[in-house]
Amino acid sequence: MRLLIDIAIAILVATSIGFSTAWFAVERGRLFGAVVVGAWTTWPDAGGPDADPYSVALLARSGEVPLGAGEGLAFKAVADSEGDLLSGNCVYSVAGQTPSARLWTLTAYDRDGHLMVNAARRSGFHSREILRRPDGRFEIVVSQNVGPGNWLPIAQVENFQLILRLYDTPLTTASEIVDVDMPHIERVRCG
Amino acid sequence: MTRTILFLVGGVLLGGIIHIAVVFMVPYYANRDAWAQMDRFGPDDQFHVLRLPEAGAEPLTSLDPRMLHAVCRFSLAGGPVRITANLPDEFWSIAIFDRRGRNIYSLNDRSAERARLDLAVITPVQMAQLRQDPPGSLETAIVIELPLNEGFALLRAFVSDDTEVSRATALLQTADCSGSL
Repeated sequence: MRLLIDIAIAILVATSIGFSTAWFAVERGRLFGAVVVGAWTTWPDAGGPDADPYSVALLARSGEVPLGAGEGLAFKAVADSEGDLLSGNCVYSVAGQTPSARLWTLTAYDRDGHLMVNAARRSGFHSREILRRPDGRFEIVVSQNVGPGNWLPIAQVENFQLILRLYDTPLTTASEIVDVDMPHIERVRCG
Repeated sequence: MTRTILFLVGGVLLGGIIHIAVVFMVPYYANRDAWAQMDRFGPDDQFHVLRLPEAGAEPLTSLDPRMLHAVCRFSLAGGPVRITANLPDEFWSIAIFDRRGRNIYSLNDRSAERARLDLAVITPVQMAQLRQDPPGSLETAIVIELPLNEGFALLRAFVSDDTEVSRATALLQTADCSGSL
């Protein structure tokens, strides 16, 4: 009887640990190969031929088609420069400059990675249409309410994310990426 | 008591094995990966131009809404695949993905140095056979050797604003992946 109980405990421990850690590592993880620059994170190898098993599992679950090294590099931000999650109730200023690239796009998605409906029918900006200051720097205002200048509208969501895609960029290796100048994401106000 | 602890340790070790097995098996049981999502676009061996991604109508997950996409699922089992397209002067790129959705080869308009794309995707075994008797038609193509059974090609073309969409769509519709060498 003792033996049966011990075996039952062992199996229970094994399945609960095995499945929960696997689920967590695939859905929430993306721990391997992440390169963090300020508020932004990129996974330069996660979608490529050298992707680790966790990234391959995540790709299979999400159905994303990641950018290759010859195409560009995508940076994701789910939090502002202070580390607080990007909230749909707040106004943010995304300002500064981007690393060198022939073309870039900045796009807002909801927490699950879907584009958000908005009356202005705008989900992002690209480098050719953005209004810049004389020194070449730019500021994008992310807000639910209409704003002047480069206004990026978002829907009434709890949390959202921003993806900055650099197309045809010389950046490829992690050591080059950590030194780049990325835009800051400042929270202006909430409510 | 000692025996229970031993069983607990055994359980944790077994949990580690289950963890590894589950992570490796996920791709084989996923039914929403990029390949599976492409089922609804139409038959294999031809390019399908996708609608410009919009809120509520995104053809694939997390696409850039400023890029027009075209996808083609292909198989190299029956021989090499030739991919050709006339493309805009704007930024474009092409990527070859394997069955699991890994981006294993990619190229943009600058590195291709031309507006007409001509790519031959070929397995190492087929390449070895071709070296015996290389066909002349390959001279104009970029030949890439990939150890693939099946995979898909994805074209991305930048559209700076919505008025460019119809022109870019017409160009992407010239894309072809049905040809052999």
